[in-house]
Amino acid sequence: MRLEIGNFPVEDIVFGEETSYNDGLLTINKEEALEVVKEDEHITEADLVIARPGEEKRIVPVKEAIEPRYRLNGDATFPGVTGKVESVGEGRTVALKGCSVLAVGKHWGSFGDGLIDMSGEGAKYTYFSKLVNVCLVADTDEEFEREEQQKKNHAIRWAAHRLAEYLGETVKDLELKEEEVLELEPITKRSQDVNDLPSVVYVMQPQSQMEELGYNDLVYGWDANRMLPTLMHPNEVLDGAIISGSFMPCSSKWSTYDFQNCPTIKRLYAEHGKTINFLGVIMSNLNVAMDQKERAAMFVQQIAKSLGADAAILAEEGYGNPDADFIACFAALEDAGVKTVGMTNECTGRDGQSQPLVTLDERADAIVSCGNVSTLIKLPPMETVIGELEALARDGLSGGWADDEKLGPSVKEDGSIIMENNSMFCGDQVLGWSPKTMKEF
Amino acid sequence: MKKAIIYINQFFAGIGGEEEADHQPEIREGLVGPAMLLNQLSDAEVTDTIICGDNFMGSNEEEAVEKILGFLEDKEFDIFFAGPAFQAGRYGNACGVIGKAVKEAFDVPVISSMNEENPGVDMFKKDIYIFPGGKSAAKMKDDMAKMAELGNKILNGEGPLTAEEEGFFTRGIRHQVWLEDSKPAADRAIEMLLKKVNGEEFKSELPIPKIDRVPIAEPIKDLSEATIALATSGGIVPVDNPDKIQSASATRWGRYSVEGLDNLPNREAGEFKTIHAGYDPAAADANPDRVVPLDALRAYEEEGRIGKVHEYFYTTVGTGTTEAEAARMGQEMVEYMKDEGVDAVILTST
Repeated sequence: MRLEIGNFPVEDIVFGEETSYNDGLLTINKEEALEVVKEDEHITEADLVIARPGEEKRIVPVKEAIEPRYRLNGDATFPGVTGKVESVGEGRTVALKGCSVLAVGKHWGSFGDGLIDMSGEGAKYTYFSKLVNVCLVADTDEEFEREEQQKKNHAIRWAAHRLAEYLGETVKDLELKEEEVLELEPITKRSQDVNDLPSVVYVMQPQSQMEELGYNDLVYGWDANRMLPTLMHPNEVLDGAIISGSFMPCSSKWSTYDFQNCPTIKRLYAEHGKTINFLGVIMSNLNVAMDQKERAAMFVQQIAKSLGADAAILAEEGYGNPDADFIACFAALEDAGVKTVGMTNECTGRDGQSQPLVTLDERADAIVSCGNVSTLIKLPPMETVIGELEALARDGLSGGWADDEKLGPSVKEDGSIIMENNSMFCGDQVLGWSPKTMKEF
Repeated sequence: MKKAIIYINQFFAGIGGEEEADHQPEIREGLVGPAMLLNQLSDAEVTDTIICGDNFMGSNEEEAVEKILGFLEDKEFDIFFAGPAFQAGRYGNACGVIGKAVKEAFDVPVISSMNEENPGVDMFKKDIYIFPGGKSAAKMKDDMAKMAELGNKILNGEGPLTAEEEGFFTRGIRHQVWLEDSKPAADRAIEMLLKKVNGEEFKSELPIPKIDRVPIAEPIKDLSEATIALATSGGIVPVDNPDKIQSASATRWGRYSVEGLDNLPNREAGEFKTIHAGYDPAAADANPDRVVPLDALRAYEEEGRIGKVHEYFYTTVGTGTTEAEAARMGQEMVEYMKDEGVDAVILTST
């Protein structure tokens, strides 16, 4: 399978007459873009705001991030979400690099939403402070979940995907300057040289622990709660087949942008044919009941065995209960002789003294650790807030609180904040960017 | 200039060895014994030396701690040192006990050093900084240098003070840090994977503690012939706690006769109570059988479902008790049980 991604670097984004791209400058006709957003009548209010690296801006509640893309054959960029279910990962896609579309609640936040500071001390906690962000700040008429801590955030998330596709389309006819080719030969058709290298699978456990549909990560538009582990081509993951959900504490979350740019897949590609034989992705999931966890681990083990994998990298989107899925899968792979390295974050508490994962196993002897969800973070006020700052304290975000006996509310009168890392937008970057690790103090 | 105070035992104070181990706690202004070395190495001025006999601390812990905290009440100090204690078990315990108490009472950093074989390491490494030290006083200079160096870093606000870089025993306190080279997780994972695949040594970023598993015993073939003992980590003891079992982080245990008793008379009756500090004692004090179910076992004995109830029940306190101490106490209990023909044990927790 061969995927060609035409990369168009974006250095700045401005509003103007015509939505266009010229030498690193993306211009957006705001009115036209908002029409795309408002194709869904459930969007009641919407605006676009630009947030650039280094600006004194705080964005909250952020629900999703997407890299603007367009499939040149005209198929849906996000199959099952912005259009029909058609396969991706093959052919040509164009991408606006260095920028993202952020889905931001105009008022209302939910458990899985996060915060981004574009400058200052807070900027280091999230990858998205480094990008030029088009913030879609919107409200909806989804009254059924207005007061709920868990929100599907359907209208605004889907609107952000449409907007990302609309922006991506801007460069569909432009001459390519930089192209990334992602190609893996079929597993049984590889040269002896490649076959002789240690074969590696990448096992992904995207978040799917809500039994009710509408909150979980989607695979080609299909709720990952309703699937069993399956083999996928890494290009599908990079090309919009997986859509992020609206459920997990935010620092553990994998946004759609993260899937589209998954650094671990990119690195496995870079090693393919040199040090390893990259077999592909086993797309697993995360479950609630023990038998579901065991069944998924069993399927992952079976697929890895059937493929003859020598080694695996295993990553979980979450912490706490999903640690059981992570460890079960780790143990199952090791039992099958598949040498495994796990990637996860930890929950050691504000004092660092809690058990790092809810379950441990001596077979999980190689782990890359990406951060502590419960680290307490204090940040000064920012000049501008995009969205609504009060949401951090009021709406049950995983790392915010309305009041605390010792710490007071998360949001102070002067606009400064105190929060847990839990609500840093996609902060722990378990898909591979994380520059953080965990150490003993 | 910042100020430091150090705790040492009677031996290092030059008072005497075993014969002086009951020496009462005292505080002396200025430098005694190893305090002089610390004063040379530390950026802080060592103002006072606290001295206590190892036995005194071991047998009169509460009194010793109270006295020493009293000495410190009107002192100004920014940091506290204890030891080094080398392989001396009682000295290690004393350094840990007093270090923990000082940290809790005055919220200052506390630094000690002990040999890895010293039981004080496992008991207190979570509470205070403990460096792996030498076996004997021949290593005094090296061990004190490590203690002083960490102290200097803390006093000068340097950091982050990770166990890996500084060398103290890990304390089970894990925090996130940004790697100096910012190496992304994906690169770290691939490097680890290649090492693992190639059989090279690799270092997990989340080391999993080794679990000391005990195989499950064979079932008793005929319970009606078996002698069953009761054991608990729930802290049930005679009301005067004759063996002075600690209420938390226990190192001592006891066994008490149940001969002739149908159940355990309670605290009000002046017989049994719990000294466990980790749960609400009301129910256990009102009826100790809720923790040590002698009444139920007697009923089984009466019905002939078990042969007989063993003459003693065995008890200690589980809260805060280290695995190493728990294993030692368990092994000691088992010796008695084996000698006296116990076939099985019911172990109750809380």
